[in-house]
Amino acid sequence: MAAERLHTGTEAPAATSARVGVQIDGVTKKFGAFTALHEAWLKIEQGSFMTLLGPSGCGKTTLLNLLAGFLEANGGEIFVDGQLMTETPPYAREIGVVFQNYALFPHMSVEKNVGYGLAARGVPKREIASRVADMLALVKLSDFGHRKPKELSGGQQQRVALARALVIRPKLLLLDEPFSALDKNLRGAMQVEIKEIQRSLGVTTIFVTHDQSEALSMSDRIAVMSAGRIRQVGTPDEIYRRPTDRFVASFVGDVNVLPAKLERRLDDRASVMVGAVRVEVPAGTVDGLAPGAAVDLFVRPDALAIGEKGSGFPGTIAAHVYQGSHVDVLVDSPATTGGRLLVRVPGTQAPHRWPVGQAVGVTPTGDAVAFPPEAA
Amino acid sequence: MKTRPFLALFVSPAALAALALVGALAAILQYAFRAFVPGSMEPGGLTLANFEALLRPLYAGVFLQTVWICLITALVTLVVAYPLAYAIVRSRSVTLKSFLLITALTPMFLGEVVRTYSWIIVLGNSGFINSVLRGLGLIERPIQLMFTTTGVVIALVHVTLPIMTIMLAAALSHIDAAYEKAATSLGAGPVRVFLTVTLPLSMPGIVAGVTTAFAWTFSAFATPQMIGGGRVPMVSTLIYQLGFASFNFPFAAALSVTGLALTFAVLALAKAALSPLERMGAH
Repeated sequence: MAAERLHTGTEAPAATSARVGVQIDGVTKKFGAFTALHEAWLKIEQGSFMTLLGPSGCGKTTLLNLLAGFLEANGGEIFVDGQLMTETPPYAREIGVVFQNYALFPHMSVEKNVGYGLAARGVPKREIASRVADMLALVKLSDFGHRKPKELSGGQQQRVALARALVIRPKLLLLDEPFSALDKNLRGAMQVEIKEIQRSLGVTTIFVTHDQSEALSMSDRIAVMSAGRIRQVGTPDEIYRRPTDRFVASFVGDVNVLPAKLERRLDDRASVMVGAVRVEVPAGTVDGLAPGAAVDLFVRPDALAIGEKGSGFPGTIAAHVYQGSHVDVLVDSPATTGGRLLVRVPGTQAPHRWPVGQAVGVTPTGDAVAFPPEAA
Repeated sequence: MKTRPFLALFVSPAALAALALVGALAAILQYAFRAFVPGSMEPGGLTLANFEALLRPLYAGVFLQTVWICLITALVTLVVAYPLAYAIVRSRSVTLKSFLLITALTPMFLGEVVRTYSWIIVLGNSGFINSVLRGLGLIERPIQLMFTTTGVVIALVHVTLPIMTIMLAAALSHIDAAYEKAATSLGAGPVRVFLTVTLPLSMPGIVAGVTTAFAWTFSAFATPQMIGGGRVPMVSTLIYQLGFASFNFPFAAALSVTGLALTFAVLALAKAALSPLERMGAH
């Protein structure tokens, strides 16, 4: 263990260029016989917004707790701004955390809450007052300094929590499902606000969530996690349109799964056949499969279009779900595993053009990805 | 309004018990204002002489000493129970939790007399504490613990430990561990986290525990009687001596009434003094 640490210790400065804010090197965490995190590797650019996305129990919160120092890893190293964190106690890590329920100290005023980290550092009182005032102005709560947390609304409490975490000028900001306690309208507004503040301060941020729409809308990059492993790391667009993992494709966004056969591979592209319909996919995810092998084709609802009967996959319009800017059309079709395709049609004309019961053809028009079928 | 068909049925046993208690208190109250007739079990006419006698230095001193012992006991119990309660609430090991809980609560299951006898064995001049200290060569003569205030306080702390531990544990379990994590992430070391977050937030439990321990100790009888052996007079032992050695029931009743009033007064005072602290923990 000691030799290993020495090894990574000497290697780290070379690997940690000035632009890497956080480097997670093969971090593993076990709880008894249960492995919550399997050798996680991740590099996060300084000043960027990285999201750990996954269902509950996927290990994202464990990783967050390891970063904050609330848990000790069973192996691997964590670097923040090039500094080894693994042996640093949590109170010396200079990492700001916004907790799920904010964890604002109920017995202290907003000012005292925000100034807590500065007081713990022995910052002189006058400087605390001015830095707290600046921070409260940044989160638009200048007039609320003397209130107690319980006298604030959910959104205001969240801003206090953010101000408290940022006032210490942390090297890294951790956000632990911070929007889950807010109602839906407030959530969108707070997401924009937090993103703006994060960008203006340029603080490296790791955001933990199970909500894929939050992840897609806020992140510079997303690490999708499942069962203690990081499945894919990429920009929101890469994650949404070019998933490299079956779990990622089905967890992020809505998706249609169609049984298909691999036809042939050419360099980095491949083609698969769904019945008589040929669809182009990236070859990376079907590596090692022979032509003719069964695969599952994943197609987003917005990468499908409805056309006249006879084109694409045959189907019958089953229902319309009006969504304002678009209409979700459900099409009964034998081509899909579930027997029903979801097609997202922009505009509001779909119910008139394709009434329920009409026989249609559904054509793939955008990105599609194929994966080997799930092991039975 | 909702009718509650079983309300009368369920409340009646409690009402009967309350009635008996009120009756007994009323009897004591009227005895307190009757004259003592030496050599007779029957009290004489109405008088305030019993309460005047309370002001004599001998009796007033016992009251002061009792309040002092109760206060010390409550504070020592707090110091002993706090880490115990904290460990019970925050420990991740179920085995450790159960072990600590059982250790803390056992005094409740022992009879008062059995428990006090055990303390005599521990505290005596050739008892456990003194033999160990002598065996280690730390002392030459035994430390006098029996028949001293220190001995009585030690045994009384044991009596109040379970209730204090339960009350503190209840208060601590209501403190979200996220508060401590938040303080830690903001740069506070363990001591600072405890002093600025855990301690103030557990204040309601501390106030409840200390006042309850105070009231319990005030009414404790077997412990001061047996460990103190008459040399550590407390109100309860004084009442016993007057009532059952001198058969001065009126004076014993006056002492009881005054003791009860004093306990209420001290509790009210403590509540008023500690209420700003208590509000600190209000969620």
